[in-house]
Amino acid sequence: MPRFYRIHTSLFRKYVFSLDHKIIGLQYALTSLIFLLIGFSLAVLFRWQLAYPGQPVPIVGNWFGELNAPGGVILPEFYNQLVAMHGTIMVFLAVVPLSVGAFGNYLIPLQIGAPDMAFPRLNMASYWAYLTGGVVMLVSFFVRGGAPNSGWTSYPPLADFATMGQTFWLTGMFLLIVSAMFGSVNTITTIVQLRAPGLTWFRLPFFVWAQLVTAFLLLLAFPPLQGAAILQFADRVLGTSFFLPSGLFVAGAAVTRAGGGNPLLWQHLFWFLAHPEVYVLILPAMGIVGEIIANNTRKPLWGYRVMVYAIVFLGFMSFIVWAHHMFLTGMGTVISAFFQTTTMIISVPSVIVLTALLLSLYGGSIRFNTPMLFALAFLPMFGIGGLSGLPLGLASSDIPLHDTMYVVGHFHYVVAPGTIFALFGGIYYWYPKITGRMMNEVLGWIHFAGSFICMNGILFPMLILGLGGVNRRLYDGGMQYALGQPLHSLQVGMSYAAWTLALFQVPFIWNVFASLKFGRVADANPWHATTLEWTAAPTPPIAHGNFETIPAVYRPAYEYSVPDAADDFLPQNSAGL
Amino acid sequence: MEIPYTASVRPDTGVTNQKLGMWLFLASEVMLFGSLFSSYALLRSGATAWPDQSSIVNVRLAAINTVVLITSSVTIVRSGAALRSGNVARFRALLATTALLGIVFLAIKSIEYRGELTEGLRPSANNFVGLYFVMTFLHAVHVTGGVLVNLFLCGPGMTMNRRDAPRFLGRVEAATLYWNFIDVIWILMFIVLYVL
Repeated sequence: MPRFYRIHTSLFRKYVFSLDHKIIGLQYALTSLIFLLIGFSLAVLFRWQLAYPGQPVPIVGNWFGELNAPGGVILPEFYNQLVAMHGTIMVFLAVVPLSVGAFGNYLIPLQIGAPDMAFPRLNMASYWAYLTGGVVMLVSFFVRGGAPNSGWTSYPPLADFATMGQTFWLTGMFLLIVSAMFGSVNTITTIVQLRAPGLTWFRLPFFVWAQLVTAFLLLLAFPPLQGAAILQFADRVLGTSFFLPSGLFVAGAAVTRAGGGNPLLWQHLFWFLAHPEVYVLILPAMGIVGEIIANNTRKPLWGYRVMVYAIVFLGFMSFIVWAHHMFLTGMGTVISAFFQTTTMIISVPSVIVLTALLLSLYGGSIRFNTPMLFALAFLPMFGIGGLSGLPLGLASSDIPLHDTMYVVGHFHYVVAPGTIFALFGGIYYWYPKITGRMMNEVLGWIHFAGSFICMNGILFPMLILGLGGVNRRLYDGGMQYALGQPLHSLQVGMSYAAWTLALFQVPFIWNVFASLKFGRVADANPWHATTLEWTAAPTPPIAHGNFETIPAVYRPAYEYSVPDAADDFLPQNSAGL
Repeated sequence: MEIPYTASVRPDTGVTNQKLGMWLFLASEVMLFGSLFSSYALLRSGATAWPDQSSIVNVRLAAINTVVLITSSVTIVRSGAALRSGNVARFRALLATTALLGIVFLAIKSIEYRGELTEGLRPSANNFVGLYFVMTFLHAVHVTGGVLVNLFLCGPGMTMNRRDAPRFLGRVEAATLYWNFIDVIWILMFIVLYVL
């Protein structure tokens, strides 16, 4: 037996520097949920500035110092920090680590009948690289000039001359990409190599497929941003001018650099990462929703194979759509035409998956438990997010909408009530697996209903504001422009929705912690599911090795309501009928 | 419970975990270096003037370095063959030679850097010089990592050969893949940054 696989009794080895994928998954979960809360708090804060520009923030206004918020009034520079960090934290430190690091890590080995991830030490390294990157990002709030303030996209030339926080952003991003690379190498190897006997490719749960495609995107799309971060780091620290054209003026003075660089180079490298990133955000969510819907409709997923082909195709296509973020840069109509064509093509597999999930509901006898509510809400919310993206994918309609609040509304619909709802659903669904106790249903319903209403209250007005022409980066919510003033009352309503949304997270947080102690004790398979994590692994799971013996798999992932079967579900590892 | 296929080949996929993991890592490295090579292409093709590269950098030292790295690729492949045929002493000598050649490469590279820096050449001079420093430095970091791995495998890491020989062989093969990869990257850099 390899040395590191001894069961460690030291508390440190067991909970801090753990090699067990389940502990590492929980570390990821806890850390990313904290980041989710931090990122959300930033939004709660700057929503005050958008609703009541120039008025002192109540209660917490004097926490931020004279440099950021004199007399409690948020300065534009501080507002920029808040928004840039809200985006960065939510995408790179909260949603991706939660969906891939936490759900992927915890569930993949359990669902494929593996004793652990293929490389436990690499797994641990991936978590610690992530945490270090996250801490570096947060530390930037306390350096001179404050946090990065060039938006989450860090476009040069602005970012090349931004305050010191930007260097922290680049360093943190470098570490996060190292972490993503460790994680994705591990995930792919695990899925390819450690599937239990009989678990052929088309018997894999859809969740595992989604994680596999996601891992390829993380593996291949993230390194270019690492390269770009190195180049921007050189621009800032070594005085190179990779992203600085000749003859540049900053603050009225000519820049004394060699010049000859190209700011579009950054945009190409950034979006080469960041468009596949969109699918990194959504694919694991689709996987979770697929699991929950199949389980709660008591039917196999409609078109499982087609869904698999769709997301594999989606993975490939996601590498050749990136420049639809750059229609406004004047890169030329030929290139725009190419990228708008690929963008229209890539919408097809997303529609296929969504349609398959929707058709899966048809004729099912649906159980409306909390996970299912979140999964059901995912469908129309992701639908709005996806459909509102079509006008942005076409060059001619993107040009007036570019950088308006419409864009913000679009991607928030995909990620917030789309991905994050799916992740909430996943937490309610697998909580009994992890802890052996159920979460409270009543609190779950309150959490769901409140979040659903408030989320739409924040996001739908964004689409209206954007169509009205309000730019996304205005620190006063658009009041400085005549076109923004009549729409400004929407900003007030959106802010109240955001603050109410914060209140509705309280029952969730309470539910997570209180159910550890007071939750109803769950039996091994409380949802009567078919996949291996419920049917073959003990609940709550055993520390090392997951399974008493590696299960053998005899059937596809979603054998629900099979005629002539005794129960309405046939576990993947049951040999009979 | 032991993790399967750490050292043995999984019949239906035909690889060990180690080998697959290394290939995946190298795929991601291709994208990292690829992004820098593409940046080079984009910046050079968009530049109004591009310096005469070979008059700035030291082509002779780089050519010697190319020979050094290619030789080290041969020695590391031979070391794997020696290990497979059970000749541990020969394996050890060849892998140590590989690591030594890696150190020679780094030494020559630092002589090259020192010459350029004493001439007053800085990354900020122009985009070619900037890319030259960034790309070759990133490569040198990779060589350093490879040297450390090779030293580990012919030094303290060898205890695994007694405990679990197939797994150790897998490690050596993974290290060989990596070493040959950074050799290939260097050859590309030699062509792009020195010759073109």
